[in-house]
Formats: sequence, structure tokens, C-alpha cells
Amino acid sequence: MMSYLFLLPALTFFLIFVVYPMLRGIYMSFFDYNITSFEFIGWDNYGTLYHDKTFHKSMINTIVLVAVAVPIVIGFSIFVAMSIYKKSEFIRSFCRGIFYLPAVTSVVSVTVVWGWIYHPNFGILNYITSFFGIEPVSWLGDPKTALMAITVILITTSVGQPIILYVASLGNIPTTYIEAAQIDRATPWQIFRKIIWPLLMPTSLYVIVITTINSFQCFALIQLLTSGGPIYSTSTVMYGVYQQAFLLGNFGLASAMGVILALVIGVISIIQFKYLGNDVEY
Amino acid sequence: MRGSKKGSVLLVVMALVLSLFLTACSQDTAKESEGGKDADKNPSNEKQVEITWWNFPNFQALDGEVGKYEKEIIAAFNEKNPDIKVKLEMLTFEGGPEKLNVAIATNTAPDMIYDAPGRIIDWGKKGLLAPLNDMMPDDVKNDISPALMKQSMVGDQVYMYPFNTGPFMMAVNKTLFEDIGELDLLPLDRPDRTWTVAEYEKALHAVKEKAPGIIPSGFYAKSVAGDQGTRGYITNLGTSRFLNEDYSAVAINSESGIKGLEWVVQASRDGLVAPGAASLDAGDHNDLFLQGKMAFAINYSAVLKSLFAPNKTEDFEDVLLPYPTPDGSDPKLEPFLGGLAVFNNDDDKKAEAAKKLVDFIVNDPEWGEKNLIQTGGLSARNSVTGLYEGSEYEYSELARKFITDPPTIADGYAEVRTFWFPALQEAILETKSAKEALDEFAEKSNAAIEKAKAANK
Repeated sequence: MMSYLFLLPALTFFLIFVVYPMLRGIYMSFFDYNITSFEFIGWDNYGTLYHDKTFHKSMINTIVLVAVAVPIVIGFSIFVAMSIYKKSEFIRSFCRGIFYLPAVTSVVSVTVVWGWIYHPNFGILNYITSFFGIEPVSWLGDPKTALMAITVILITTSVGQPIILYVASLGNIPTTYIEAAQIDRATPWQIFRKIIWPLLMPTSLYVIVITTINSFQCFALIQLLTSGGPIYSTSTVMYGVYQQAFLLGNFGLASAMGVILALVIGVISIIQFKYLGNDVEY
Repeated sequence: MRGSKKGSVLLVVMALVLSLFLTACSQDTAKESEGGKDADKNPSNEKQVEITWWNFPNFQALDGEVGKYEKEIIAAFNEKNPDIKVKLEMLTFEGGPEKLNVAIATNTAPDMIYDAPGRIIDWGKKGLLAPLNDMMPDDVKNDISPALMKQSMVGDQVYMYPFNTGPFMMAVNKTLFEDIGELDLLPLDRPDRTWTVAEYEKALHAVKEKAPGIIPSGFYAKSVAGDQGTRGYITNLGTSRFLNEDYSAVAINSESGIKGLEWVVQASRDGLVAPGAASLDAGDHNDLFLQGKMAFAINYSAVLKSLFAPNKTEDFEDVLLPYPTPDGSDPKLEPFLGGLAVFNNDDDKKAEAAKKLVDFIVNDPEWGEKNLIQTGGLSARNSVTGLYEGSEYEYSELARKFITDPPTIADGYAEVRTFWFPALQEAILETKSAKEALDEFAEKSNAAIEKAKAANK
């Protein structure tokens, strides 16, 4: 009983600030809710989204962003963690600091810096590529490159925490397993695939779920750098929610978008837990 | 079984805590309302009215402090109206519109706002504002140009008291043209400075050839801000209208409108426009001009000139120019218009107090003119002229004759403008022809206008 009472404050806040808004959002999605009306319209908002090509494009962009960013974040984080976890404490701290810096810096500051890096006229990226005879590219102004440019920023701001978690997890893997494999003449790749990767699975599950959710909710980068353009090529569902709710005042339609996004995230998270959530004890 | 018992206990405790929380809230509310009743009984507080004024940075910051000038206005207002307490809240142009949308949707709108017709008239159509007809006698209305009055009314109801104005146009770095010895390419010796597209092209080519480090002109298609600059530019390059005269449909997809956009696309190909226009917003575009890196800016006005002055990193003379037209005929310039509106918050006392503040800001014998000058704009009243010295203000006064009616008060304008920049992006990135991009824009926009018209009926 006592333990439940200790939970109570957090639970109360959870109910008030998470559960209630979520239920309210679902409720609002069935209304034509704008700054002057609140009228029940059933599934109409969902019907509108079903036929809205811009929403389809946003959903595709969101899925592409997640599908590209999440594996790269996981792969890169493990690569960096594997490279540094046996190094001296100084090197480990230095590397963790470097990769963690973009994660703790304000997203607005990071975005402004990247905006200048990508600037079509004065950007350092075009300056560097010019040494290789490459014509200046409007990284954020070309539909072919804009989403990729956003994905790169998302990745750089997302790898900090996974690297720290993986370095810690690698340190917890008993060396006897690896030594035994080495005696059996296992290759480094076999050691990674058969021993390290399975033992990192609890960490990977957490990192994958969190990175997936963060990538689905990517908003500030897009708002600040591209406003969803050019030609909707970087418009995501989160940006669409913002645009419908706060720019156009269509809170009902925005709620419906939010519900769909939550459902997609929920389904993907369940799949991730089902297939990656094996208990590992060592 | 044991688990379910614990669950029941937990639910009971949670319900208890929530009920305590809600009871506490309701008790607070009850206390507040009792306090309110007491205050009403108190004769000294009976006349006291508190109103909220939400303001964008329409006045230039005093001593670099945003909102300081507004506080001076309130202090002066309170000397004459001690019974009205004004709570000021400064908004930003970036987040302000969102905050207003949320406030209106949650019945927490301010009592008074100083803003532009795009938003104000939309609120007027939705019945959220108090009419200001009683504040505007015929002599005042007749002193304001019909184009500006049209921007302030819905039917016969005045919802915005028009205050400061100025035509949106272009600007040129005059110093640069002096340096390259091509000043005579600019129409500055003509009284109304009108010029043709061919003359403009010649000036752009002169910059490209004689000042290779300088970008001849700019364009932008990111975000939704500054859309009036791109609209005015394209409509004049092709001598077209953006919407038809009764605001019921898009007109920019006419043959002449398409020509205007085709000119921009061709100029981009020819290197006469800053590269990467699809990823630049109005602010980036202005920065290029203010840093002396671009010869022409396509979104300027007397108001913006004074607002931008502190941001200039290069010392050069910026001069206002009208948009060129194919045959040099009179351009049609959208006006910047600022005005004040009173929200209808179902409290007549607050509405009356807010109207008093509006009247003070606009018409006070001492503060009216002072306030206008602090905006850097011209008066919305035709009779109020000569506020400033300098050739650019004189030219701005003269260019008032070119003012046309902008699309900002059209039904569904807020949604229409979200389609505009993607259409421009399609054209300048050449994923669609100018005609295809504008036709698609027209199709989406006409549907949005129809929908909004039906909703506003």
C-alpha cells in the first residue's frame, strides 16, 4: 500500500498532463473545432486526411525520415561506442562530450548553425564541395536534397545519448564470453553478431524505441529550416499538426493528425517490443 | 485476487486525490468569485476596468527595449483615464499569431489589438470583434482612401481603425549604382519613378557584369511571411491581379500573371536572382540586401526602411522604387496597413474602455502624431502628411496613388497564403511550368475561398 502511495504524485501528474490531454485529443478529433466553432462531425476529419495529398506526402516523408535516421543512429552509435569503450577514460569522455554536445545544446541554436552550413550562397558545405569541382547546391532549397539534409541534422542531434548508453552497456558485458570466443577463433564480426549484439539488445531496444519516437516527432528543425518546403518535400506529420492547429486554427483536424501519428508510433513500438524485447541476463 | 484488491485501493486513492484537487480548485474559484463580488460592492473599484492590450512590435523599440514605448503610451493614457487599467503583452511576429489563435479558441482573447487586416478582418467576419462605427464619423472615413477602408470593414461594419500605412515596393542600393557608374539606369530622375521591365533587366545585367560579387536581385519562397512582396513583384511584372475584384477567385493564373512568374523563372536561370530562392525566407532576402550583397530587394517600404536601419551592416543609401511593369505604366502596390481592433469579450465596459484606448492612440492631439511617427509609417488619413523629412518619405507619400486593394481580407486568405509559396517553389525549381504551378495554386485556393465563404455565412 505504502509503495502505491509513493507512486501517487507522479501518477496524478501523469493522469492530468498525459492521459487527460491524450483522451481529450482523441475526443477533439471528431469535431470541427476551430476558433469559432465546436461541432461534432464524426469521422469527417479522418476522411479529409484520407483524401489529402499533402497529408499523404507528410506521412511518407515522416516514415522515410524515421526509416533512414533510426538505423543510422543505431549503427553509428554502436560503431563509435565499440571504437572508444576500451580506450582511456580521457578519450572516452572526450568522444562522449563531442557527440553529446548537440544533444544538450538548444535545438534552435543547432538548427541556426546548420542553416548557415547549408546556406546556398555562403554555406561552408558548398565551400568545401567546391574544392572537388562540385557546383553549389541549394541543400535545403532542392526537393531532392532537403529531406536528406534534415535527416543528417536529426542524426547528429540524436547520436549523443545512444553512444553513452552503448559505452556503458559494452562495459557491462563480461569479458569471459569474448575471450572464450577468441580462443575458439571466432572472427571479430562473429563475436559482434553472436555475442555483443544479442547482449546489447536491451539497450538497443530502448534506443530504437526512443529514437523512433523522437524521429516521428521531429518538428523544430523543419519549422526553422524549411517550413515544410520546398514543395512539401520536408513536410512531416508533426509539422502538419502545428500548421493546422496554430497557423490555421483547425484544432479538430490537427487532433486527428495527432491521433493517427500516435497510432502509427504505437503500432511500431509494439512491433519493436515484440521482436526485440527478449530478456537478456548475464 | 490480491492484485485486483490492490488495484481497487489504488483507484479509490487516486479518485480521492483527484476529487481533493478539483475541490480545491473549485473552492479557489468560489473564493475568487466572492472576491469579485466584494470588489463590485466596493465603490472605489466600481469604475475600475482592466483591459488587456496585446501588441506586435508595431512601434519602434524605445532605447532598444521592446514594449517601452507602449508603456509610455499607457502612462499617458492613464493620466486622462485613471479608471482604466491597461495590461500590456508584447507579441512577436513569429509566435504571436499562434498565441492569438489559441487564445481565441479558449475564450481568453485580449480586449484590444494593434495588428494588420489579414487577421483582424477574418476575426471580424467570425463575429469576434466589436464594431467601431461609432468611433468613425463620415469626415474621418472620407479622409481615408477607399482601398484602405475596404481593408478595415466587413460589409458596413468597421472592425479596424486604420492607423499607419505605406505602399510595399522595391528598394535599390543606390550607392552601388553610383560606384559602377550606372546610376542613370535607375528611374530616380522621374517624379513617380515608374519604369519598365526592360529597364529593370538592363539594370540587373549591369550589376551582374560590373559588380560580379553582388547578387543582382532577390526572391524568396520559404515560410509564409513577406508574401506581399512576391505577390506585388509578380503581379506588376505581368500587370495582373492576385485575386479578382470581388475576392471570389484567384486571378494570378491569367496569361499576364503567368508571364510575370515566367520572368522570375527566366531571371533565376540567367543568374539575375539569388540562388536557392526556394530555401530563403523574406528575412534572409532582406539580410542579403542590408549586408550590401544584393542590389535590389523586392519587399521594402518606408516603414521597413526605418525598421531595418539598425540591421544594416554596410553603409549604403537605400532608395525606394516601384515594381517595374511591362510597359512602364503605373504599378499597383499593396499597402502595408496597421490598425487597431477591439475584441468582443461580452463585456461592454471593457469594450468601451478598449475603444477609449484606441481613440487615444490614434487621435490624441499630443500622442496621435507622436505614435504615428514611432511606427515609421505614413498616416492612414490622407490629410495627415509631412510627418517626416527626406526624399524617401516624400516619395512614399507620392506612391500612395499606386496603392491597390490587397487580397488579405479575402475569405480563406489564411489558407490561401499557405499554398502560395509551394506554388512559387514548384515554378522556380522548374518541377512545374509557371502555368501549371499557378493553375494548381488557383484550384486549391478557390476551393479554400469557397469553403471559408460558406463557413463565414
